[in-house]
Amino acid sequence: MTAGAVRRALRDVALVGAVAWLIVLVCFVRERNRAAAAAGISHARAAAVAIGAGERPASAVAAAGLVSAATPSKAYPLLRRRTVDDGAGVRALGGPTAPAVDKLLYDAAARFDRTGAFATVLADGSGRAVAAMTTPRGLAIAVTAHPEPLARLPWLALFGMAGLTFALAGLGATVGRDRGRALGIAVAIAVAAIPAAWWGGPIATALVLALALGAAVAHHRGATDRALAIVRSHRIALTFLAPAGLAMLVLVVIPFTVGLALGFYDHHHGRWTFVGLANFKRILTGDGHALSDPLNFWFILGVTLLWTFANVLLHVGLGTAFALVLKQPWLKARGMWRALLIVPWAVPNYITALIWKGMFDAEYGAINELLRGLGVDRVSWFSQWSTSFTANVTTNTWLGFPFMMVVALGALESIPKELEEAADVDGATAWQRFREITLPHLKPALGPAIVLGSIWTFNMFNVIALVSAGKPRGSTDILVTDAYRWAFERGEQYGMAAAMGTIIFLLLLAWSILGRSLTRGDEEARP
Amino acid sequence: MPTRGIAIAAAALAAVAACRQADPAVTVWHAYTKDERAALEAWAADWNRAEPGRAVELVAMPYDGFADKLGSAIPNGNGPDLFIYAQDRLGDWSAAGVVEPIEFWIDDATAARFTRSSLASLAYRDSLWGLPLATKSLALFVRTDLVATPPRTTDELFAMAPALRARGVYPLAYPVADLYAHAPWLHGFGGQAMDGDTPTIATAPAVAAAAFARELVAREVVPRDANTTQVASMFVDGKAAMAMSGPWFVADIPASVPYRIVPLPIVSATGLPAAPYLGTDGVLMSARADDKDRAIAVALALTDDDAAVARKLRARQVVPNLRAYRADVDAATVTAFRDQLEHTVAMPVSPTMRSVWTPYANALADIAGGAAPGPTLERAAADIARYARPEAPR
Repeated sequence: MTAGAVRRALRDVALVGAVAWLIVLVCFVRERNRAAAAAGISHARAAAVAIGAGERPASAVAAAGLVSAATPSKAYPLLRRRTVDDGAGVRALGGPTAPAVDKLLYDAAARFDRTGAFATVLADGSGRAVAAMTTPRGLAIAVTAHPEPLARLPWLALFGMAGLTFALAGLGATVGRDRGRALGIAVAIAVAAIPAAWWGGPIATALVLALALGAAVAHHRGATDRALAIVRSHRIALTFLAPAGLAMLVLVVIPFTVGLALGFYDHHHGRWTFVGLANFKRILTGDGHALSDPLNFWFILGVTLLWTFANVLLHVGLGTAFALVLKQPWLKARGMWRALLIVPWAVPNYITALIWKGMFDAEYGAINELLRGLGVDRVSWFSQWSTSFTANVTTNTWLGFPFMMVVALGALESIPKELEEAADVDGATAWQRFREITLPHLKPALGPAIVLGSIWTFNMFNVIALVSAGKPRGSTDILVTDAYRWAFERGEQYGMAAAMGTIIFLLLLAWSILGRSLTRGDEEARP
Repeated sequence: MPTRGIAIAAAALAAVAACRQADPAVTVWHAYTKDERAALEAWAADWNRAEPGRAVELVAMPYDGFADKLGSAIPNGNGPDLFIYAQDRLGDWSAAGVVEPIEFWIDDATAARFTRSSLASLAYRDSLWGLPLATKSLALFVRTDLVATPPRTTDELFAMAPALRARGVYPLAYPVADLYAHAPWLHGFGGQAMDGDTPTIATAPAVAAAAFARELVAREVVPRDANTTQVASMFVDGKAAMAMSGPWFVADIPASVPYRIVPLPIVSATGLPAAPYLGTDGVLMSARADDKDRAIAVALALTDDDAAVARKLRARQVVPNLRAYRADVDAATVTAFRDQLEHTVAMPVSPTMRSVWTPYANALADIAGGAAPGPTLERAAADIARYARPEAPR
């Protein structure tokens, strides 16, 4: 036994014990609030019983009385009148100058009409309770005068237990060896399980015990020592990383985790209910729609895959073709052409999408004007799936080919001149040169770009939402726009939208892993 | 030095005490802009001069995200005391404890200020949730250089088509595949989209109204694909002789365009007037308002007849106050929408309605393209039923 060992044991108890005692504190606050609410409800109920019996309530009330049934106003039936008998006589309940406290009685009576007898804490944040019940004398309602006093935290007992914690840890570290120290730590932290069980319940208790066990194991294996040593040795680096890490935590990790969790809940009129995998089941089984129905998940997935494949094919094809043209020595003003071809990429995609939507307008769009000039009838672009899908793909091709062109241009620049000259000397045809020299050099660069481009296209919300808006009848929607509709057009079913988001994430994760292995193969085969 | 310290401390305490004594202002959130905002601010300035003890603090918010902000702030005890918003979210907000029912404070004399339809549009499930501030509905904008006499019936509308189409002009423009714009025909045929909380989609009147809309397209009375922006430009460019739109459209019409506004025509098949939805901007009270007595006093003052007249004159708002209209001083625009107000249907406030818009619009688009109205509306009804009443998964 050394002083260092005791210090390390006490340090681990302090670190993990703080978390355990935080859990205890949360349990205490929760239980304290519950007890206060229960006491308030009990007082309100007793007061209502007393009012119903014609007696004075034993505890102070803000308002209490026998409230009449609602009588619709003759002139305006949607206005319902009530009276209250508060012991001093019967008077009207309400009016432009009526006191706010009377409104508590009025609202409680309205709630009674909807739900029957009830006793609850007022939702106005005041902590007061209200009870309404039928009595032989009529509808009795009572509102408590003030929130119930909250129980005080038993500081002395807690300090005593904290002292016991450190004493046990110190004892374990002093008299025991490795296992004794670990046992001391476990028992010391597990002390917090007693108040956790008292105020919390089995989950809180289990959590505290798990922390105790984890701390003991970590200490025994030296994990905490190693972790702290790493923190100490990379102190400066970690300090620099902290702001970015915090930003990632707040902007990425927490929303992502919340998003994942929401997929297991149902949202209905502001209430969240845990439903397990039901949202996923509902989506994956087509939600009662036939497979050929545009609202069936598998139909939408098919459209999304087709949309992604068509776009990436066109992006790569056009981008490579333009890159090859730009590389030709006979091309004049190459810089200007290059700049012009990058313009579609430089313009924000929602602006481009809106411009193309205007151009596809059936009545006054430029495309139909062009077709009219060629003697072709007006096309109602967004009335049929094929034309609507074509409009979307055209817009996104315009937006996406410059990226592939830039990537292909970079790869083409990296082809050694000697190779081309050797091919010339050997009398290779243009197609042979493209197949044997250009293409093998393009593949390693285009591979990751295709994976990235396919992920962007898979989730290209703006083009679908702004050009076709899913028309006709949602048949050109892709998964991400369908997720939007679950959230904002189908009764705020955020759980379904979150589940859809999780499915999209899993699909793209699988595609990324597959793409990575494919492009790694390309890189290994690089000439 | 100690004396100076004591003096500073005493001054600070006095300042804190003064702050604590001052009545906090009644906070009103709104998303009004331009003339409507100016009119509201002018009223607030007058009120604050007259009632310094019950001051109002206006907070202008961007419209995008306004509803979501209210929905998240108020249940957590934050947000305004009062806010101005249309009635369409009342169903959600009343269920989620965002808005306060106010019928307790409203007597018959106060209710008598307003048109019944505007007051009814802010009622939901036996409670009144706000006081009407301004109403918005569609009416018929008519280019007087293209149409001498506006159609009084839909038969007259059809009769105008051949002559106008010969000149390359559509008699009427409105977004065919939009339930809000289709609603006048739906109501004119005796139908409705909602009966309380229940969608009523594929009813006989709704099918007849959809068939009528399809006929309007087939006989080229209206263009098939026009959206709201295109309707505006077609009317301004003289490519549509009439347009169905609301008060917001007035600002888009250049002074060079001769036009007038009239109520929508009577549906010849039923003899009923085409009745658009009535949207009502209401002054709503937060369920967590700090001082509800003061908040209701401000809401009552903001919606009284004098305030309504000022808003009508300054912002050309179509106010719901019956005594706010005087034919000799009112702008023709205001008068026309006031006339249309007689034949409107309050926009449904049930939360279910929010699941109705998109499937109904999809159905209307298909029907305008030639699909059979009955089966198409039945399919929309099935979609709506699935989304509007999701089975809580077990």
